[in-house]
Amino acid sequence: MEHILSILIFFPAIAGVLGFLINRDGIRIYAITITMLEFLISLVLWFQFDSSQIGIQFVENIPLIPEFGVGYFLGLDGISLFLVVLTTFMTMIGIVSIPENTKDMRELLLTLLFLETTMVGVFVALDAILFYIFWELSLVPMLYIIGHWGGEKRIYASIKFFLYTFAGSLIMLIGMLVMAYLYFQATGIWSFNLLEWYRLQLPVDYQLWLFGAFFLGFAIKVPMFPFHTWLPYAHGQAPTVGSVILAAILLKMGTYGFIRFSLPLYPDASVYFITPVAILSIIMVIYTAMVAYAQKDIKQLVAYSSISHMGVVMLGIFALNPEGITGSIFLMISHGIVSGALFLLVGVIYERKHTKMMSEFGGLASVMPRYALIFGIMMMASVGLPLTIGFVGEFLSFVGFYKISHVMTILGGTAVIVGAIYMLGAYKKTFFGQVTKEENRKLSDLNFREYATLIPLTLLVIFLGVYPKPVLEPVDKSVKAVVSIMHQKAITEEGKNTIPLIDLSKEIK
Amino acid sequence: MELFLYTALFAPLAGSLFAGIFGASPKNIITGLVTSSLIFLSFVSSLFLFVHLYNGGEIVHVEMMDWIMAGDLSVPFGFVVDNVSSTMMLVVTLVSTVVHIYSMGYMEHDKGFNRFFSYLSAFVFSMMVLVMSDNFLGLFIGWEGVGLCSWLLIGFWYHKESATWAANEAFIMNRIADLGMLIGIFLIYWNFGSLQYDEVFSQVAETDTTILTWIGIFLFIGAMGKSAQFPLHTWLADAMEGPTPVSALIHAATMVTAGVYLVIRANELYSLIPEVGYFIASLGAFVAFFAATMALVNRDIKRVIAYSTLSQLGYMFVAGGLGAYWIALFHLATHAFFKALLFLGAGNVMHAMDDELNIMKMGGMRKVMGWTAILMIVASLALAGIYPFAGFFSKDKILEVAFDSNHYILWGVLWVTAGLTAFYSFRVVMLVFFGKERYKDFGFHPHEAHKFMLWAMSPLAVLAIIAGFFEHQFYNFVTGVLPHYNFSEEIHHVVGQLILVTTGIALTGIGIAVFSNMYREGVFSTVLQNNFIYRFLDNQWYIPKIYDEVFAKPYIELSTLLWNRVDVKIVDATVDGIAKFLHTTGEKTRGMQSGNLSHMLRWVVAGFTLLLVLAVVYTYYSI
Repeated sequence: MEHILSILIFFPAIAGVLGFLINRDGIRIYAITITMLEFLISLVLWFQFDSSQIGIQFVENIPLIPEFGVGYFLGLDGISLFLVVLTTFMTMIGIVSIPENTKDMRELLLTLLFLETTMVGVFVALDAILFYIFWELSLVPMLYIIGHWGGEKRIYASIKFFLYTFAGSLIMLIGMLVMAYLYFQATGIWSFNLLEWYRLQLPVDYQLWLFGAFFLGFAIKVPMFPFHTWLPYAHGQAPTVGSVILAAILLKMGTYGFIRFSLPLYPDASVYFITPVAILSIIMVIYTAMVAYAQKDIKQLVAYSSISHMGVVMLGIFALNPEGITGSIFLMISHGIVSGALFLLVGVIYERKHTKMMSEFGGLASVMPRYALIFGIMMMASVGLPLTIGFVGEFLSFVGFYKISHVMTILGGTAVIVGAIYMLGAYKKTFFGQVTKEENRKLSDLNFREYATLIPLTLLVIFLGVYPKPVLEPVDKSVKAVVSIMHQKAITEEGKNTIPLIDLSKEIK
Repeated sequence: MELFLYTALFAPLAGSLFAGIFGASPKNIITGLVTSSLIFLSFVSSLFLFVHLYNGGEIVHVEMMDWIMAGDLSVPFGFVVDNVSSTMMLVVTLVSTVVHIYSMGYMEHDKGFNRFFSYLSAFVFSMMVLVMSDNFLGLFIGWEGVGLCSWLLIGFWYHKESATWAANEAFIMNRIADLGMLIGIFLIYWNFGSLQYDEVFSQVAETDTTILTWIGIFLFIGAMGKSAQFPLHTWLADAMEGPTPVSALIHAATMVTAGVYLVIRANELYSLIPEVGYFIASLGAFVAFFAATMALVNRDIKRVIAYSTLSQLGYMFVAGGLGAYWIALFHLATHAFFKALLFLGAGNVMHAMDDELNIMKMGGMRKVMGWTAILMIVASLALAGIYPFAGFFSKDKILEVAFDSNHYILWGVLWVTAGLTAFYSFRVVMLVFFGKERYKDFGFHPHEAHKFMLWAMSPLAVLAIIAGFFEHQFYNFVTGVLPHYNFSEEIHHVVGQLILVTTGIALTGIGIAVFSNMYREGVFSTVLQNNFIYRFLDNQWYIPKIYDEVFAKPYIELSTLLWNRVDVKIVDATVDGIAKFLHTTGEKTRGMQSGNLSHMLRWVVAGFTLLLVLAVVYTYYSI
């Protein structure tokens, strides 16, 4: 399959267009089939991925505007591979999770298919303009999902989500244009090709400005403190499937951007900005964990916990060594699975009781034991218990960052404490104690559809916690390639010292 | 031998999964039987491995598979059975087998019977991972695993507010310590490039002492959490909310000794940093005394035993801190036997008294439960350190070490504590089994426990009596991997006197308890109970209250404040403020777009003028 990446991008969108011809009764099966096929294609991609190789694979390059060096340039390495697989997997799970009585079912499903196209596009595009197009297009389906299928304040939440992230992206776009212009100045040709940009060595002051421009775009998406306030609204108002996709994949686009753009393009600026970024990350970890603890709405709690976890991801990225970056990518994947599962779990009780207030529950462990069990496993994964998926990435991120700073790692490491505080507190309020509300006694345990979405996630959480190697190995290789580029390109003494020298010859078997 | 290793390790896991399948179904005795047999199988395998090593066999070391590989870090699932870990395995599986069998009786009327056995076996599996791992991160898996099982089992009766509260407290407090442990692991990785015990310990001698000191401190912070050392001790007493077999296995015999095990395991490291060792020993001595004082006045039978556990852990840390690792391990083993026995006896008493814990409401119970009384007296004698019971041998050695290394203050504290220990142990025995039958006033109808439960306890009783006599064999065995502790010449001259003095204070303590009218008659003086010291001890030195006021409540308040005031009113309001500003600016300036031609022309002129001015200024400055 020569054009597997193109197929992977456009298959859902084409199927989405054709979906308008499908009868409303059959649309659910249709959408599930499409996303399953898409997931299978991504598995084929994984299977065909040559993990003994370091560079970009499955390259497709068609010039679009040759005068300005804009091209349809796709490619994939170990870093993007698993984000693509995560995207197709979580979209499939999300679509299966949609309850049958949802209003405007067909439109919701087709919107999700378009969303899938844009998300896959973001992770495989290696041309800056192409990346930007997918990046911005992904806002539109999500705007609809929140704005049409959301809760009471859905219009406010969706517009806030759109404008906030859009404003950040525009500044990133300016950064991209400047970058292309600098490339033109240095070489005499225009190019938006990311791999060619990698070869460009920039003076430190240019790096700092450009890093700042890209930073705004990515940081709002992550979301980093203090740009995070759109997220609780978006999650609070989004339907379950919207929250699942938002938490599992859309947030990862920000952290992916840092690894794909900021780090290799501006190594000295990355080193320069370690401390401010780390401080913001530590605030994210501690502050949002405390805010999460104060929540009364369990969905808001999970939303804030996402921000806290993304703080750890940011620390891992700015460790600038293979341990930390590999850990952060693994944590992105694990957070995608775990937070997705947690939003699904919140959706389960919301569907039954139409409230997300923890005070409305209590003693659910005796009424819905299987639900309590899966929630418990996901909670432990979120807290980062060893042998669950959550531990590996968190541990590696902190190990990596410890090389940079002892004190800041200890501060960021409080994630393991504050995370346990809000998670166990929420679990206690919801599942333990006496059943306080009489009507809760009649709540039914998980049904078939819910099992179908939650059991695969639970198995993954345990499998990848016990045996993370299939994911870690390819990721680690590609990360070493990135770190090696950074080390070569770094101009300053400090940059060379902070970014370790990698012997890539060891990685080729 | 590898087969035995894998059997010992994975049999409990198999049992846990088996019982877990029936987790939500009604009681099924088969889950109890299957898990107990699998734990017994694990015990037999551990015994084989022990015998293999005892007869001079090779250390068994396997690498099962890779776990985390990234950057230069490479951590496998590796397991090692050497003299230390095989001793631990034997102790853990033995006590676990006893507790499993005992629990079939103890939990017989409980709805969560199957779930209980699933958790209990999962605990044994985690504990085995902890002691058998060949690297620090594998140990950490077990470390967190036992923490999880402890959380599940403390909060086993999850409908009780106090139980779930205690479970969360234990988990969170342990997490605080775990952060310390993780930092220790990070330091090890960046300084040694590996987390394997053998690779790390082979390099410690050439490493800078400052780094070793930091590693030693951070690892010990981890140990302080699991072994409930001051100031992270409050969770242990609250953990008594769990079913009593859990208290016997997890919160007395095995999990809480994990911290001691860590210090013993890392002895090559701690031998090089005696200052940290001295700190550990001092803290241990303080905790020994501190916990014993709280046990003096408490009326809750399980809490008294919990404090005594805390106190004995302090003794172990004194030995470990002063470099007498084999003695720490010896006391760990004997303590596991007699303390588990004591807890299971307390479990019988509780069962007989319909889960009543207040010893003031008991008394004279030897008449209805003679065997339990005998078993508990045996355990109490061992705890008090009376010859020829097991505790005598191990505890006396610790006092000898303290005296021999010229730490007379430590010795003095431990010596006083020995007296307190003897007193509070027999205070419980007297109040429960002797004197006036006060339980009649409260309408209880106690009865002896099932025969098989008593039989299940008997191996522990035998070991509590005879284990001490194997001191010499034990020494020879474990010093195969642990350093010898060299006593000085002078100690041999005074060792007799030391034993006499220690036994003397222990007997005095017992004597006060036994011959005190107060405990025999069950008449309690209100004057004494209103005394400041009594109230101070009864309130656990006011530490839980202080923690609540200083940490718990402010945390909740600060969290709410951050959310309501900072996140909503400052951070988010700023964003909305910018949006509102743009909106109002637009609203205000839309009047310009009136569509009136003369109006528009005026604006054109104004704009043109502005541009001209700018152009002039720009040219002026660029010349």
